[in-house]
Amino acid sequence: MPLPLYYFLAITAVNVLMAWALYLPYRVGHLHFITVANMAISGYSAAWLVMSLHVPFGWALLAGFALGGIVGYIVSLFIGDAPTFAVVIVGFTFIYITRTVIENLKAVGGTMGMFGLPNIAGDPVAHRWIILAILYGLLLLVGFLIHRFDHSQLGRAASAVFVDKDLAASLGVDIRRLGMQLQTFSCTIAGGCGVLYGFIYKSFHLDFFTFALVGIAMTIIFVGGYATMWGSLILAPILYGVPLLFPPAIQSWRIVIYGALLVLVLVLKPEGFITRRFVYSLESFLSGTRKKRNTL
Amino acid sequence: MQVFIAQVINGLSLGSIYVLLVTGFNLLLLVAMIIHFSYPQVVVFSMYIVWVVLRATGNNLVLAILAGVVSSVAINLISAPLFQKVMKKRGEVDINSTMVLSMGIGMIITDVLSHTFNQGLPIAFPDALASDAPIVRFGLISVLTGQVWSLAVGIAAVSAFFLLLYRTRPGRAFRAIAEDPNGARLVGIPLLRTGLYSYALSGVLGGIIAILLAMLLGSASPGLGEQVAHKVLAVSIIAGLGNLAGGLVVGLFLGILEAIVQGYISGTWSDAIAFVIMLAVILVKPKGLFGTKL
Repeated sequence: MPLPLYYFLAITAVNVLMAWALYLPYRVGHLHFITVANMAISGYSAAWLVMSLHVPFGWALLAGFALGGIVGYIVSLFIGDAPTFAVVIVGFTFIYITRTVIENLKAVGGTMGMFGLPNIAGDPVAHRWIILAILYGLLLLVGFLIHRFDHSQLGRAASAVFVDKDLAASLGVDIRRLGMQLQTFSCTIAGGCGVLYGFIYKSFHLDFFTFALVGIAMTIIFVGGYATMWGSLILAPILYGVPLLFPPAIQSWRIVIYGALLVLVLVLKPEGFITRRFVYSLESFLSGTRKKRNTL
Repeated sequence: MQVFIAQVINGLSLGSIYVLLVTGFNLLLLVAMIIHFSYPQVVVFSMYIVWVVLRATGNNLVLAILAGVVSSVAINLISAPLFQKVMKKRGEVDINSTMVLSMGIGMIITDVLSHTFNQGLPIAFPDALASDAPIVRFGLISVLTGQVWSLAVGIAAVSAFFLLLYRTRPGRAFRAIAEDPNGARLVGIPLLRTGLYSYALSGVLGGIIAILLAMLLGSASPGLGEQVAHKVLAVSIIAGLGNLAGGLVVGLFLGILEAIVQGYISGTWSDAIAFVIMLAVILVKPKGLFGTKL
């Protein structure tokens, strides 16, 4: 497989997973940017386990997921039902703190980062195939779980919380518990993504985990459509792939293009391109039924 | 003890800038009802305009200050219809979507700065604006021109702002909208026009902050806006969103805290410690210490 195609497929999968990690807590109105910090924490920890303690990659990956989940759970104890802006600033603050700690930790290479991570299989080609298999397996699993969640009682409760917290609470929704569950799951995904992200490049550097990454995930979810999981799935390859077709001079303005796209979509089409109504219509069309459904 | 006093002086001047930033941020929050997360990025953009004008005019301070203020007001007024449109589209004021919109604007500003000016490298302001010659020196304690100006202008600007808010007719309109937008509309206060005034006023404040930051720091980089933006939102949340008096107290406190930490702990850790303290407060009291005014 050509290297550019490998990177395109791998980074697209990571972007979709990261956008879904943002999508889930946003179902209850939480913009949970701590996911980027979690990527870094889990990624560096797994790399350290592999490089220094010679732990097999599989176990390091599992540790990355677990660490992400644990950090997410602990933080969610405090901000499970916090207002959106408080969740946002907790996320940003966490990113700053994580970056500073990593910058000062010699065990993980400090500002230089970690290079020369081993292939997880015998040779580079096998390494790439295994990374892709894990990523797309994870994509299918997470996608399935989110789809089930969206169509479950919990998903409907999340929609109610998004629209009106007070109403949802009066209907018996435990807002804090739901927020905690979604934040923990989101951080677990982010933890695993962080490990895989570094092993795609076989290195870890702080430049991987900047606010630009937050911007990319945010653009994917808001331009694609924050009300369904499908927007992220469709937009992630387009957003990452289309700029690659442009000359390098234009490619370097990628973040400006993302920002402009985000602003335009928020102004002109606030729910994003793939809306819930559109998905319901499509589902009805495909299943041949035309029954009216309530949309939130 | 001398180090402590020197750092408190540093902290007061830095804190006065945080207070100004939080005041401009809160003004937009209360009157225009938006979370303008990237307001500090607008300020940093103005710093770059000041730098460009200083270079182009051979350090003409008056023109540079004017350009800084005008650019900040212009960006705020240009972005105003975008915010209004988002709020209109949602059917009601959706403060979270204004925050995401503002983040989008911030992404554009930061990346434009890193592509367009000085090849993305940090800029340094000339001595005409940011002299590091001390006015007073006593042992380890030295007071710089930038510190005096930022403290003096910070106090003057915040006082003028509070006077405007509590002693003038437009100020009453601002407060009325902040208290009850529907009630304000009923008594004949034009919401849109008053909202636009708040964009313009926060723009003027932004221009002043840009000059003061340039004097105090002596340099700027594209990433400065992001870092300050997170601190301003954090200060605002700790104080209680929209709480002007709370913003004043917490802004000054953060400035002093940061300076003291910098005085005793290595530079790379100092920011993190300030952030850890902010994080702890937000985690324990996500709705703020002084109560939100929204």
